[in-house]
Amino acid sequence: MRTIIRKELLDHLRSVQFTVLLAASIVLFAANGLVFVQQYTRLNTDHHKDVAVNDQQPSTMMTRLYRAPSPLLFMAEGGEKASPKGYWLSPKLTLYPLSAGTGNFKMPDIPELDWAFIIKIIFSLYVILLGFEAVSGEKERGTLRLVLSNPVGRIKLITAKYLAIISSAAIPLLAGLLISLIVIGVFLPAVLGPQNLVRIAFLFMLALAYLSLFAFLSLFLSALIPRSSLVLLVLLAFWIFFAFFIPDTSSIAAQKFSKVPSEYEMAKLLGPTIQGEVWKRIARIQDRIQKGELKTERDVLDEANRAYEEGQDSVRKLYDDYDNAMQERAALAQRISRVSPAALFQYAAEAVSETGPKAEARFFRDVRNYSRVYDDYILKKVGKVVGTSPWSFSTGATLNGKYINLQSPFPQEYAGDKSDFPKFSESRPSLLDGLHNGLWDIAGLLVWNIILAGLAFSAFIRMDVR
Amino acid sequence: MLRTIIKREILEYLKSAKFLIGLGITLALAAGSTVINVQDYKGRLQDYQAAMQEMKSDRFYIHLYRPPQVLSTLIQGKDRKLGNSITVTYLDIPSTTSGYMGEGRSQHHRLVSGFAAVDFAFIVRVVLSLMVVFIAYNAVSEEKSSGTLKLTLSNRVPRDQLLLGKFLGGWFVIMGSLAIAALASLILVLSHSFIAFASGEWTRLLAFIGLSAIYLTVFYAISLFVSVLVNRPSISLMILLQAWVFLIVIYPNLGIIAAENIYKLPSQEQLAQQKAAAFQPYEAEQKKVQEAFGQAVRTGGDVPKEIALRNVDLWALRANLSHQVDEEYGRKLAAQTNLARAISSLSPAVLFDQAAERFARTGIAEYERFMREVYRYWQQHVERSKLIYTDREAYKKAPAIEFRVPVEPPAEAFAATWLAWLLLAFFSLAFFALGYTAFLKKDVR
Repeated sequence: MRTIIRKELLDHLRSVQFTVLLAASIVLFAANGLVFVQQYTRLNTDHHKDVAVNDQQPSTMMTRLYRAPSPLLFMAEGGEKASPKGYWLSPKLTLYPLSAGTGNFKMPDIPELDWAFIIKIIFSLYVILLGFEAVSGEKERGTLRLVLSNPVGRIKLITAKYLAIISSAAIPLLAGLLISLIVIGVFLPAVLGPQNLVRIAFLFMLALAYLSLFAFLSLFLSALIPRSSLVLLVLLAFWIFFAFFIPDTSSIAAQKFSKVPSEYEMAKLLGPTIQGEVWKRIARIQDRIQKGELKTERDVLDEANRAYEEGQDSVRKLYDDYDNAMQERAALAQRISRVSPAALFQYAAEAVSETGPKAEARFFRDVRNYSRVYDDYILKKVGKVVGTSPWSFSTGATLNGKYINLQSPFPQEYAGDKSDFPKFSESRPSLLDGLHNGLWDIAGLLVWNIILAGLAFSAFIRMDVR
Repeated sequence: MLRTIIKREILEYLKSAKFLIGLGITLALAAGSTVINVQDYKGRLQDYQAAMQEMKSDRFYIHLYRPPQVLSTLIQGKDRKLGNSITVTYLDIPSTTSGYMGEGRSQHHRLVSGFAAVDFAFIVRVVLSLMVVFIAYNAVSEEKSSGTLKLTLSNRVPRDQLLLGKFLGGWFVIMGSLAIAALASLILVLSHSFIAFASGEWTRLLAFIGLSAIYLTVFYAISLFVSVLVNRPSISLMILLQAWVFLIVIYPNLGIIAAENIYKLPSQEQLAQQKAAAFQPYEAEQKKVQEAFGQAVRTGGDVPKEIALRNVDLWALRANLSHQVDEEYGRKLAAQTNLARAISSLSPAVLFDQAAERFARTGIAEYERFMREVYRYWQQHVERSKLIYTDREAYKKAPAIEFRVPVEPPAEAFAATWLAWLLLAFFSLAFFALGYTAFLKKDVR
């Protein structure tokens, strides 16, 4: 067995594919490390500056909650660049996103060069290139029956071939990862704490599990199809299908299949909601003045404030519904794309790196928790919690010939001592939480492995090697 | 003689399993992606038409909508990623479009970020180019390794004619595959009643198919060249696949990273500072006008005409100055993008993408046309808003301002992409010439 593995491994190590993969891996991972160092340094400096500025301006009207950049962005960026760096928070959990503003939207849409991408796209392709000939190539050359005429079991042979493919992909992968880590370690040693190193090691294992399924797929098709060039063609079709077609069409498919209303359908409710929930309530005030139900200016203003508050609650609810609908759709897109092992790997990598939609959802949980503390604080200091929405309203009413300006109420600033202003802090989830998030994805990768391994072994055992 | 060789080559390819499998895969992916993209276009078109009808502008909020491009069903470009609506007031011109929910609130990005487009352009760029590699990698090397090359050349067949025949034979097969895939996608697109191509669109589509043909020719010429150079088919396939990965996946990505590091962009804070500084001289005056305006509103009286007018003027000036800063920033974004493209212009895929988007009107150029029109509209809107205070009658009578983005003539798209065409043609010729001379000198034994 060891002899076979050694022979196979040596064959791979001498191949063009291996040399190019090693070179590509080194270049890409080094670029990844350098880009991350620059990006993270900038993001982190900005984050600390932003938080410090906000801490100096405690306010009961609005406060800013910033999201700390993930120190593991280099592993899986997870769309963090496009999401806001934080939110304005007003009382009653009114959120307004702060600009994201780091990406150039005019650039061609090319995915981030993170570890997940390099492994998902480039390495999987090279595993195919290393493995497509494993059986069919030997059969074409006639060496397969020679090998099997020796006392070598078929299971042993294919296991050896599998191990050789995985090791020849693991060597450049390890080399690349180390280079990326060295670059990061030199410039940002703080990033590579023991916690993160465990996560990195875990991602490496996930990568092997992901690449392993491509190795099994290659062996399976290589045993099934007699001509290696055809094997390669079919493998590349799978690769395109898994790595591009499914993940990239899932978002459109989600829109098609989801019952969730589209952005436009939600947006068109905005006008009628404001009309029905705010202006109708306000219009009733003038009626009640005429009927003599509201006698003093105070009555009118109190009534207007109540009407505005209720109206604003409805408007805010519409925005919340919209946010939920969009999140639901994005989640559906993710679920659809999970058909592809490349997507499973991407989401598992995001779970380990604490990036992506799951990490954003965790941030929102923290924000919700903080919002309660914030509202309690405002209640204690100001006496009432006034909710707003992205809209403010203003109109007038006349009482006994006097014009009264009816302005939708704003939260008030507390003028006294705010040294006990509550600080916002993000929860720091452990690796176990991350794994819990990525459990289904990791399980999915293993299932793919088991199925493909079964297929590869059975195809090879039944194969006519003559 | 040439015809015999071509005929033989074509027949050989048509009989081969790799061609049939390749074509099958291409057709399946092309059909799948086109069906999905047509459905997406349908949804976006319905939303756009409904928005034009139902979410109309009022006197203050002007809603302008960007129509989805019909060719995005084949070449999605950025059409889906860029938002479809923009709301301007005399107080503000947003720097970019957003989703229908409005600037800052729209979660549009959630549904599009991280997803690349799988469309007919992708099929050409990735799938067909791969098929080309598979068709041509062993065109010469296989014959050499199996010994038929010397047999063929022992007949009275001139070498140049043999290579030309091989080249043309394979080329016709590739063009045939492209035509079949394009036709299949096109039929799928046009079978929907809500899709209609204007005459300009047909020109654009033809240009795109021509572009695809040249793009595939580049890969074909490279493959043939490598096949002449390398004697073992398996090695030539490996070399070609590495080149393919490099040109299509790795190199464009590195080009962008390089451009982002060479050409730095100002931060959002710097932009905010620039905007504040530009308006600084008018800050005090605006505060005074605002106070007078607010005072009048609070007491329910009429706002004095000159105060109201100056108020609009100052707000519009602030919006305009901010817009200038945004414009300058937009130019920097474009410059960075152009640098990335220039760095990776040796990749046929980058050239192809850039020109394809331009022809489909789904790229940044079309978006910029839209935004220029938004600005022009905004200027007219400000003038109109001032009429409320100067001449109420004239304001009431003034017809609605029409918002219409002029359609770019296809000739302009050609003019903008000539370099891409030229470079692609040059690569095709250069690699063909290299292959040709290498073949003439080749030891065929």
